[in-house]
Amino acid sequence: MSAQGRLPATGAGVTGWRAFLYLLMIAIAVASAFPLVWMVLSSLKTPAEAMQTPPVWIPQTPSLDAYQKVNELIRVGRSFANSAVIAGITTAGILLTSLMAGYAFAKYRFRNREVLFAITIATMFLPPIVTLIPLYRLVGTIGLNASLAGVIVPNLANAFGIFLMRQFIAGVPDELLEAARLDGASEFRILFRIVAPAVAPALAALALFAFVYHWNSYLWPLTVLQGNSDNYPIVISLSRLLSYNRSAVNTGLVMAGATLAVLPPLILFVFLQRFFVRTITASGMTGQ
Amino acid sequence: MIGLRKSTFAMLAPGLGLLAVFILVPIALTVWLAFTKWSSQTPFTTATFVGLDNFREIFGSSSVGRDFKGAMLNTALYSAMSIALILPLSVVFGMLIHQAELKGANVLRTILFATYMVPMIAVALVFSKLYSPTEGPINQLLSLVGIGPQPWLSSPDTALVSIVLLNVWQQVGYFTILIIAGLTQIPTSIYEAARMDGARGPALFGFITLPLLKRTLLFSAVIALINAVQVFEPVALITQGGPVGSTNVMTYHIRRVGIERAQGGLGSAMSVTLLLALVITVTAVFAFARREDRR
Repeated sequence: MSAQGRLPATGAGVTGWRAFLYLLMIAIAVASAFPLVWMVLSSLKTPAEAMQTPPVWIPQTPSLDAYQKVNELIRVGRSFANSAVIAGITTAGILLTSLMAGYAFAKYRFRNREVLFAITIATMFLPPIVTLIPLYRLVGTIGLNASLAGVIVPNLANAFGIFLMRQFIAGVPDELLEAARLDGASEFRILFRIVAPAVAPALAALALFAFVYHWNSYLWPLTVLQGNSDNYPIVISLSRLLSYNRSAVNTGLVMAGATLAVLPPLILFVFLQRFFVRTITASGMTGQ
Repeated sequence: MIGLRKSTFAMLAPGLGLLAVFILVPIALTVWLAFTKWSSQTPFTTATFVGLDNFREIFGSSSVGRDFKGAMLNTALYSAMSIALILPLSVVFGMLIHQAELKGANVLRTILFATYMVPMIAVALVFSKLYSPTEGPINQLLSLVGIGPQPWLSSPDTALVSIVLLNVWQQVGYFTILIIAGLTQIPTSIYEAARMDGARGPALFGFITLPLLKRTLLFSAVIALINAVQVFEPVALITQGGPVGSTNVMTYHIRRVGIERAQGGLGSAMSVTLLLALVITVTAVFAFARREDRR
């Protein structure tokens, strides 16, 4: 983070103000972390503890029973595998199509380039519900309904990815590409051997973003899978726990399920946070 | 910059081809289907042209019209409340993290942003428990400061606000990062110059930070609006649009009509109306911002 834009401290008499700012910061952090901490703590409680009044905040005898119960109710392994396949293949597709189209938009001159790019960007702002009904039928027409392919194929290209790649590839020096062309390299070779490595951090950022987005996505898989529970990703399998949501006895069970779904994206995030931040910062440039 | 016709086509075809087939074609289909009677369980060829009938129905006084207008109103309220909370909070959080020079600011940023990674389904499940009127921790905590139990998701008066709050909780970190990106664009020298002229805290914020953040705020407002329109999981999972229709929002309603009840024509007319409403709103916001610029 650059020092640009920071306010220099304003001399004396600010100790009270700074103490207030620190308190504010702690309050925000607590409010923000609380639901997730509570989720994990509750998942470790026994049903008896979950029922106690006044409530027990920290389980006295932490147990993983709730996780085992979740595993009996929904096929956790299978659901995780489905989620991984959906998020993994979709991400690979987005990386490839974004790299290629981003390269063309950044480095080629062709008719209607600006118009095509503007249309691409516009699709970024379209709420998925607007196209959900015909898309559902369209995917059925090409025979992909209720399958993982039906979940994946419509998402293999993504306007945000194309935009992001164009932004970063524009920064790759033209001389580098010219030199490779003089050496007789094909355009695809240039793209994969020179351009891709040069924008590797942006590709990593896009990969993480796409993976988490499609791991978490709910509306489209729910619609296209039409109750074929063999192909449910974890976020949809979880909704089966809802029937247990009515009584407090099962709080631990429901929270164990939620914890399971949260873990993979959260772990990715904790280790690779800087990539995420860079992506959002770049996305803010659409507004510039 | 070069002009390579063959390569241009090869590079663009996969990405733009997919966007055309799975976004542009469905938009065109939505518009066409909006003027037809069609069951979404049958092929497109079974759609029969009915003119403006669907639009007459969704804006009419029958139960279809009442439900749709209710959903439009709920979505508008939900979006307005979300934006009204997210924008000021993200500016405060962004300034706290970026400008106040506090130790641990990066930790706060990490915690705030982590919530954005949580699948909405998990957020919905967790908050359905947090909000529980009897044994939920939120009411327990409120009672400690002398506030009586709130009905949260179980009353038509508070259910929509409750979902707004969980949405704000999840998204505010994302917008904070956007605001920080905007803040880094403001040169320190402007602040220094203003300080030399005697400007202090509120004046610096009002005359420098806020005006120079305008583009970022505008972009954030549009993104927050588009995100708000997509709210689905908490409604589908917990409230099913209730109590008494108070959380029946557009994404949930359109899916219920167009997919679950298979009334594809009617649902498409609703989609088209939603799209038009969004285009008009966003255009108006930008036009307003431009007029402000000129003044």
